[in-house]
Amino acid sequence: MPALDIPFFGTLVLCLILISASYTMAVAMGAGQGRPHLLPSARWGTYATCALVLVAVCVLAYAFQVHDFRIRYVARYSDRSMPWWYLIASLWGGQDGSLLWWAFLLSGYTFFATRWLRGRYTELQPWVLATLMSILIFFVVLMLFAANPFATYIRTTPGDGEGLNPLLQNYWMAIHPPSLYMGFVGWSVPFAILIAALITGRLGNEWVRAARLWSMIAWTFLSLGLLLGCLWSYEELGWGGYWAWDPVENASFLPWLVGTAYLHSVLIQERRHMMRVWNVFLLALTFFMTIFGTFLTRSGLIASVHSFARSDIGQYFVWYMGFLLIGIAALIVWRLPKLKADNEIESLVSREFAFLLNNWVLLGMMMFVLIATTFPLLSELVRGEEVTVGPGFYNKWMVPLGIVLLFLAGLGPLVAWRKATGSKLARAMLFPIGAGVAVAVLQFLFGARLGYPAIVEPTEIYDTTTGTVLAWMSAVAPVVSFATCAFVLASVGQEFWRGIQVRMRKGQGVGTALVGLVSKGRRRYGGYIVHVGVVFMFIGFTGAAYDVEQENALRPGETMSIGQHTVRYDQPRMEADPNKRMIFTDMTILDEAGNEHGQVAPAKFIYRTHPQMPTTEVAIRSRPAEDVYVIMSTVDPSTRRGTFRVIIRPLVAWIWFGGIVLLLGAIISMWPTGRELLREELARPRRLRFSPATAVIALAIAVATMMAWVGVASAQTDSSSSLHAGSVVINDPVERQLFGRLLCQCGDCARLPLDTCACGWADDKRVEIREALAAGEEPTQIQESYRAQYGAKSLAIPSDKGLDRALWAVPVASMVFAVGFIVLMGRRWQRRGVEAHTAATAAASNAELQYDSRLDEELERLEES
Amino acid sequence: MSDFLPWLFIVVASLAMVAGLISLWLSLTLAFSDEVMGGVRAQLTTDARRALIAEKEALLQEIRDVSFEHDADKISDTDFEELNEKLRAQARHVLHALDAGAETFRNEAEAQIAERLADEA
Repeated sequence: MPALDIPFFGTLVLCLILISASYTMAVAMGAGQGRPHLLPSARWGTYATCALVLVAVCVLAYAFQVHDFRIRYVARYSDRSMPWWYLIASLWGGQDGSLLWWAFLLSGYTFFATRWLRGRYTELQPWVLATLMSILIFFVVLMLFAANPFATYIRTTPGDGEGLNPLLQNYWMAIHPPSLYMGFVGWSVPFAILIAALITGRLGNEWVRAARLWSMIAWTFLSLGLLLGCLWSYEELGWGGYWAWDPVENASFLPWLVGTAYLHSVLIQERRHMMRVWNVFLLALTFFMTIFGTFLTRSGLIASVHSFARSDIGQYFVWYMGFLLIGIAALIVWRLPKLKADNEIESLVSREFAFLLNNWVLLGMMMFVLIATTFPLLSELVRGEEVTVGPGFYNKWMVPLGIVLLFLAGLGPLVAWRKATGSKLARAMLFPIGAGVAVAVLQFLFGARLGYPAIVEPTEIYDTTTGTVLAWMSAVAPVVSFATCAFVLASVGQEFWRGIQVRMRKGQGVGTALVGLVSKGRRRYGGYIVHVGVVFMFIGFTGAAYDVEQENALRPGETMSIGQHTVRYDQPRMEADPNKRMIFTDMTILDEAGNEHGQVAPAKFIYRTHPQMPTTEVAIRSRPAEDVYVIMSTVDPSTRRGTFRVIIRPLVAWIWFGGIVLLLGAIISMWPTGRELLREELARPRRLRFSPATAVIALAIAVATMMAWVGVASAQTDSSSSLHAGSVVINDPVERQLFGRLLCQCGDCARLPLDTCACGWADDKRVEIREALAAGEEPTQIQESYRAQYGAKSLAIPSDKGLDRALWAVPVASMVFAVGFIVLMGRRWQRRGVEAHTAATAAASNAELQYDSRLDEELERLEES
Repeated sequence: MSDFLPWLFIVVASLAMVAGLISLWLSLTLAFSDEVMGGVRAQLTTDARRALIAEKEALLQEIRDVSFEHDADKISDTDFEELNEKLRAQARHVLHALDAGAETFRNEAEAQIAERLADEA
């Protein structure tokens, strides 16, 4: 290899990026301020900056491949035994590198957006480039002054690196973070378009059209990233679940919620030229949430299993977020007169109003997640007391909100734009409601026999009325959820059928009508397919209500029974590769008749660089009806006796299937139409080009395909890993409820409740609590003494009194206030809308009537295209 | 693969560095030239027209959707007539604006051609 001072060269390239991006930003701003001849210069400057970021990434990737341990980041996140693919994944495995990776993805988006903008939106273009460069500058400043991935050791260079965290050494690591980053970073482009629109005052539908494709791409990647995160959690963290409401999971969920609200709300602006301020606010908030989420992950302010080490880059983020807030607010206030709506809502029974309600639920969910995520920090700041908000709190509040959202996904398609006639809406709702009721009745009649009872046992998170209400809401949640799923599926199915019938009346066959329907209305029907994907995911989420788990110690040849399965422990075996030793335990899954139904091999991996952190590899046998999830907790090499925890997780596979359907729907809805492709070609007649937008969509498809393939592959290998897996025995519902409220205080797993944590400390504590219960102590007394002994942070859910009550009272109050406001405004808009409509119709009678025939011709052409 | 990858990264980095420097040079050359780009000016005119065309297409789409919803029995005949007429009035207005702007667009195009021919001469 050539002798090159890689650390110095890497830092030099970062400096060059900063200079180039600053120069480009200045030139772009000049172009936007009355010097349009500077625009081509700004475009070339953008390309130069993007190329330099690619150089920096290649230099770091090279340093990993040649084990240049002079670089601190390389030494901390790799070692000589790691294969080349993990050396590439190490690029984003730690904080400093992930910032460079962020900059790299941003430059990729910037490159494609600049290519796409060529010949389009000339007035917006300079400000789009300037905004994108400003975001890049922030990340480069962060790297140069706080987290340089090329920083070297001051003293001696280590002979070998520390190696990548064993948890990150798996295939999900190769695709989950990049996909999530693609989602996060992707919102920069629509945000830049929005800022350009605000600065130039071009606030009609132009910016909405320009931002449409890019928002869809960002949303699709963010959804994919979240889904892959669930898979990673399910297969890697090995605690048996896919979503733990960890602060970093929440950080990526927040922009998804706001982004989803924006994607629905912006349809109202496109169709009705309304809600301009609201859409500007939502898009700006989505981008802000991506930065806020990154701040949560990077600053280390809030404890999380994902977060990087506590560092001082948090203060840079605080300044940047402050700048964003002030800047965006100032721009919106300045442009308020230009953000006035052209139309008003004409009826409360309209698609517009259904979308408003959808926004209300999504933002309500965002409020819950935001407040609960930051509550520990707020509590510490306000009253100096550390608290923890565990998954129980989120699950209790988010389930009912999620079901309302799901219901709206089914209601929306049934309601017409502008105003729906009451009788027609009632007729349209008949079949979907019938389907929902039928499913509920069937579940009440046969559910329990099939293992899916309509109502499950209620568990309380508070010993107050709120706790009782929430407990009953979650007890009936399964039947309500399944009924709502049926309602939405019937509603979407009916919409497809009605559309097909309209086309069939024009003489088309069913197949042709279906293809024509989807291809002529990609956004609408792609959106419906997304809703179907969400329904499948909800079916999977609902399955969590029927989880069964059991733990047993077995000798080879012995069996344990759980649900309708018997699991036989066959034998242990050991394998090794240069990186680790692997202890497998071969097991066979049998049915009630004793027939073999597959083999699984849960294991322990002991990595050479992290012998103190053996990972537990769970084994999953996945079927549409249920997953059999097997964890090997311990195995004694001398007696070969092993301890195993088996969890039956019904319907989980539907989540992954729903995710694939959702991605398919998203791709259909953003696929360019023939007219759009034609226009792209007409804009560049000289050479045939591969459209940048098409390239990004192709990338989304490639990642989705890869995800499906990896999913299949992982199902075949039936194995993954965990650091947290363990064994917990729960004897009765009282224990489950109490253990679920108390957090382990061993120091290593502070966020795990006693009903999950398998460490020795938690084991001892459970024995102690059982003795107290047997002695007749009330669960509330035990909880209070636990709190008195270990502090408020030892409870999984803060109490339902005093300031703690703000945790749910603030979001609930905001939602009540918001729904009142929406209805009030809706009624006002409705009155004004009717007046405006009458005036517009009158004015139309004097319009240019000679254009009628041309209009008909254009409509015919549109139908044929 | 592990022997090949370092070289691959060196080659990609070198190519990107060359491309970056060339782009930067082009950018600086364009920034410091006094020439007012006719193409950019023309683009502004095209943009205004393109915005109108996009507006027209959005309205056509909306008219088609309303008609589809009526055919699918989602909105009543009376509501359909009201909505359809309102949308058609807006679309007629846009078509009129497009026709009115066609003259300016043509003049701009002719001016551009004349300018380019003069430059080449």
